[in-house]
Amino acid sequence: MNILESILLAFDAVRSQKLRSGLTLLSIGIGVFGIISATSIMGALQQAVNGQLADLGENSILIQRTPSINFGTNWAKMRRRKNITYQQAKEFRDKMASTNLIAISNEAPGYTIKAGQLSSNPDVTLIGIDDLYFAVNAVSVSSGRPITESEVNTSRPVVIIGQDIVSSLFPATDPIGQQVTIKTQKFSVIGVLEPKGGVMGQSQDNRVLIPITVFNKYYTWEWDASVDISVKATNSMLLPVTVDEATGIMRSLRNVKPWEENNFELDTNDALTGQFSGFTTALLVVAWISGLGALVAAGIGIMNMMLVSVKERTREIGVRKALGARKSWIVRQFLIESITLCQLGGLTGMIGGIGTSYGVTSLLRSFNMPSITFVFPLGTVIFSVVICTIIGIGFGLYPAWRAANLDPIEALRYE
Amino acid sequence: MSTAIIDIEHVVKRYEMGDEEVYALRDVSLTIGSNEYVAIMGPSGSGKSTLMNMLGCLDTPTSGKYLFNGANVAEMNDDDLASIRNKEIGFVFQTFNLLPRATSLKNVELPLVYAGVSAEERTRRAQEALARVQLSDRMGHKPNELSGGQRQRVAIARAIVTAPSIILADEPTGNLDTKTGHDIMNLFRDLWKAGNTVILVTHEEDIAQHARRIIRLRDGRIESDITNHNHA
Ligand SMILES: Nc1ncnc2c1ncn2[C@@H]1O[C@H](COP(=O)(O)OP(=O)(O)OP(=O)(O)O)[C@@H](O)[C@H]1O
Ligand SMILES: [Mg+2]
Repeated sequence: MNILESILLAFDAVRSQKLRSGLTLLSIGIGVFGIISATSIMGALQQAVNGQLADLGENSILIQRTPSINFGTNWAKMRRRKNITYQQAKEFRDKMASTNLIAISNEAPGYTIKAGQLSSNPDVTLIGIDDLYFAVNAVSVSSGRPITESEVNTSRPVVIIGQDIVSSLFPATDPIGQQVTIKTQKFSVIGVLEPKGGVMGQSQDNRVLIPITVFNKYYTWEWDASVDISVKATNSMLLPVTVDEATGIMRSLRNVKPWEENNFELDTNDALTGQFSGFTTALLVVAWISGLGALVAAGIGIMNMMLVSVKERTREIGVRKALGARKSWIVRQFLIESITLCQLGGLTGMIGGIGTSYGVTSLLRSFNMPSITFVFPLGTVIFSVVICTIIGIGFGLYPAWRAANLDPIEALRYE
Repeated sequence: MSTAIIDIEHVVKRYEMGDEEVYALRDVSLTIGSNEYVAIMGPSGSGKSTLMNMLGCLDTPTSGKYLFNGANVAEMNDDDLASIRNKEIGFVFQTFNLLPRATSLKNVELPLVYAGVSAEERTRRAQEALARVQLSDRMGHKPNELSGGQRQRVAIARAIVTAPSIILADEPTGNLDTKTGHDIMNLFRDLWKAGNTVILVTHEEDIAQHARRIIRLRDGRIESDITNHNHA
């Protein structure tokens, strides 16, 4: 009863000082919002990159129409780039001399895989691959077999499924030889992927591989018809040679004039990691510093609000003390009030932050970053609840102490 | 006479207003035993409320000594005093001091909250106390929805709800008509008959006549302290 009553009193305080509470709650909101949205968007980006990095093997380069991570570059320019068509990718493969480990793939998120009555999560990533995919990427088949060249060439409806799909569709049976349905098409399972576990809390086993020819036929749209090319250099010494050769061939295939910049992205594993982590760390640091700054400002606001509240309720405190309220009771009541206020502001910021990061990740996804998925920032949510509680206690303590030490007679006489 | 529960010796209460000194009480000594029925009278400003606040462990003397049940109040900490106010004393304030935003029932429940009584028990006892002051039909009303006399009765119900051994009432019938005032005095008499100590402030002679002992204050001093043989 006491806690509930104190919480209700906190709402009363908000109501009776609308403007001041509004501003205070807003600043808490902003602090929490900044921290949550930055952490969560970064999480999603990191996951997208890590997913790709996890696949991209050693001494490998990845050629894409647009970068998987893009900051500050002109989106309009990126969007004007022509697709890397399957045809173009095959020509590229045929021309490359320094290595013949070249795989062409394309992927799309958000598929549901069905088998009989059972269906998987709705967020399975569907990847169209060719027969060299396993040779180039750090991905392998743990049971069954990979997709063959002839299956790619003749568009056979075969599929290799990840461990997550095995668990949801074939918990007790051997999946090899079974039938699954992806949208309208039926596939027979020929292999199971080696489990990779999770990257940033997101499972890497939640995907299925089909021949890229089948992928192109049934599962592509204009905006993501562009394929990815992974190239593995014969050894690390030859990596620079391979990079140069690949760049030259792509430029000539895509008619890039000598004075123009590349109209495609070519990245090595190292380059990707480096580019990304520098950027995210900087952004995270900025977001956290400004977020914490806003929270401290909010804490001072809370303290001010509580002091006003103590003053306005001097008589009430006097009555309570006269009737036998101990100091600890008064302190607790005011602390609960200030914690409630903080949580109220925190909640606003949290909803805003989560909403925004969901929006941003959806937006990035539609801007040609299909591998990005929204990550619910559970850790950050917990963190913000904790930090709001700490602020509530930290900045509520002094007002609460003031209230508890009021002289009952003077408090009762207060007008 | 029975054992003393209140024993004040040479109590002075002085207020400093700038360079002027105001004496609310000047050298008051008084002993009140358990199960006494005392009326305190005196002109306005003579120190009655100041004395009551002191007896109720709400205020502390500038000098002098106050022994409550033999224990020196000056040596107690805030929480000890809070506990005495909560458990031993029922205080009816001259200005009622009800919580404006709480209903009659919640107001009366308040001392029980601090006594750690369970919610159901609290409600039950608060309802009983309100019934004793004939306010069963106003339990859901807030103070500003009640008449002055009704507020006074809520304040009385709040004072008796913890079944304290001492009732201190500052002008408890000040806002009541003769009939209701009479009912309240009957209530105090019942409490006294049940073994409680009742101390009340009044400036009405006929109210004072209910008491067994009448103390008159003037200018912060005890002017007379008599046993009332013809009590009503
Ligand atoms: N906080 C204070 N500061 C200064 N003077 C005070 C204070 N409280 C009381 N006094 C003074 O002490 C004197 C006694 O006040 P008290 O309230 O005890 O009178 P009272 O006998 O209860 O009067 P009434 O019958 O009008 O209620 C008064 O002269 C008053 O002005
Ligand atoms: Mg008075």
